[in-house]
Amino acid sequence: MIPIAYWRNRKLYTRLIGSRCKKCGAEYYPPVKVCKKCGSTEIEEKEMPKTGTIVSFTKLTEPPVDFKDYAPIYLAMIRLDNGILVLGQLADAESEEIKIGARVMATIRKWTEDGQSGIIYYGYKFKII
Amino acid sequence: MSKVYIKSVGLVPVGEHWNKSLTDLMVEASLNALKNAGNVKIDRIIVGNMMSGYLNNQEHLGALLASALGMKGIDSLKVEAACGSGGMAVHEGYVSIKSGEFENVLVVGVEKMKDADTSVLTKALAMAESAEFTQVVGASFISLNALLMKMYMNRYNVQEDHLDIFPVIAHKNAVTAPHAQFKKAFTIEDVKRSPYIAEPIRLLSSAPSSDGAAAVLLSSKPADVEILASEVSTNELMLSQRENPLKFEATEKAFKKAVEKSGIDSSKVDFLEIHDAFPIVAALSLEAMGYSEEGKAAHDAAKGKYNFEGDLPILTFGGLKARGHPVGGTGVYQVAEAYMQLSGTAGKNQVQGAKVGVTQNVGGIDTTSIVHIMRKVS
Repeated sequence: MIPIAYWRNRKLYTRLIGSRCKKCGAEYYPPVKVCKKCGSTEIEEKEMPKTGTIVSFTKLTEPPVDFKDYAPIYLAMIRLDNGILVLGQLADAESEEIKIGARVMATIRKWTEDGQSGIIYYGYKFKII
Repeated sequence: MSKVYIKSVGLVPVGEHWNKSLTDLMVEASLNALKNAGNVKIDRIIVGNMMSGYLNNQEHLGALLASALGMKGIDSLKVEAACGSGGMAVHEGYVSIKSGEFENVLVVGVEKMKDADTSVLTKALAMAESAEFTQVVGASFISLNALLMKMYMNRYNVQEDHLDIFPVIAHKNAVTAPHAQFKKAFTIEDVKRSPYIAEPIRLLSSAPSSDGAAAVLLSSKPADVEILASEVSTNELMLSQRENPLKFEATEKAFKKAVEKSGIDSSKVDFLEIHDAFPIVAALSLEAMGYSEEGKAAHDAAKGKYNFEGDLPILTFGGLKARGHPVGGTGVYQVAEAYMQLSGTAGKNQVQGAKVGVTQNVGGIDTTSIVHIMRKVS
């Protein structure tokens, strides 16, 4: 994790702020500068819905070094209720509850931390509802 | 415009080279290719590599290799396209000659992975997707492929062990491949006994981490093998940004363009070196190129279509899974292997009568796809 890069994106990571094209209405997360559908650069901020459905999931036993202490990690592809696909972790996930089609809600949880004296990174995770 | 030929190739056996450095690997592959070419004056070097900065504290590989080969003064650079870096290096070599600016280009693909701790390597590989939106949530590259594989299984009602036919084919072909990392055959039952890394991907269904380097010497002067087409296409960077993640659009487009430019009928291809990093990538690649219908690649493989003796042999030296996957090296190994098939120097792995071969190398999950079509010069 890079602290300043995290700080720049803090709103995105905690509130799922994406974009909406003012011309054609297409929505995006992560946010864009150029609309992929119509090419417009007239883009505004748009907060994503916080509920969605599990499209796919996995249990990762060997995470990248910044997340090594949190293994195993449950990751999922979530189809938010506006149709946007988002990658995220599943929080408090009892493995038998996790299935394709299960309903989830975004919540704020700890992602990772920079050792004992570094900053703690918080961001969205999804929990089963 | 110039035609582009492969004059020679040079390989380092893929493996765990504890006593060889990143530079040693590149130099060994280069010297092998130069020796096999005879007396050729190189006017450009292109190095394909993904992670040397992060894993080996080394960038500037173009000048580094020129210097190590005693070729200071030459035009030399590194190109990067994640796991497609090697294929992209060959593409840039092809374009260099095609433009008429260069006559003999040495293309070297290299990755030195085994020096790194596994979790550090896992982070490095995830750099193929977004630092800001993929890595921050703890995803690894394998986990993204696992999510994709489960979407595929759910969409097409295919089971995990159906897809595990691809590593089985790869390992069978590698038994007699001198430069392969794993010269050992195994069964789908063996795959099922290995642990999950990210369910449904297991240790034995995932390409290994490897050290290796391969070189191909491209030339405007006629030689045994001609590159008829070298095409690149890109997809959305992140899997989650795609309308249909189960469609490998970059591979589909690159392959279609390559077929058109080469003038080769895709049903006349004698063998296919695909990017089988994981079973799901093998299946979706074959489907994107139109060799299998959507959802049917594993079914076709089970019926023997892609076996060494089948209609369309794939992974003729073991592919990424068994030859090994030194990331930035892989795309160059594939082209070198196609050269061996088409020049009749593939030894026990020779596809009899091979006249046309295709390689497909991808960076990320079909984020960049590089397709080459080559023919035997008769």
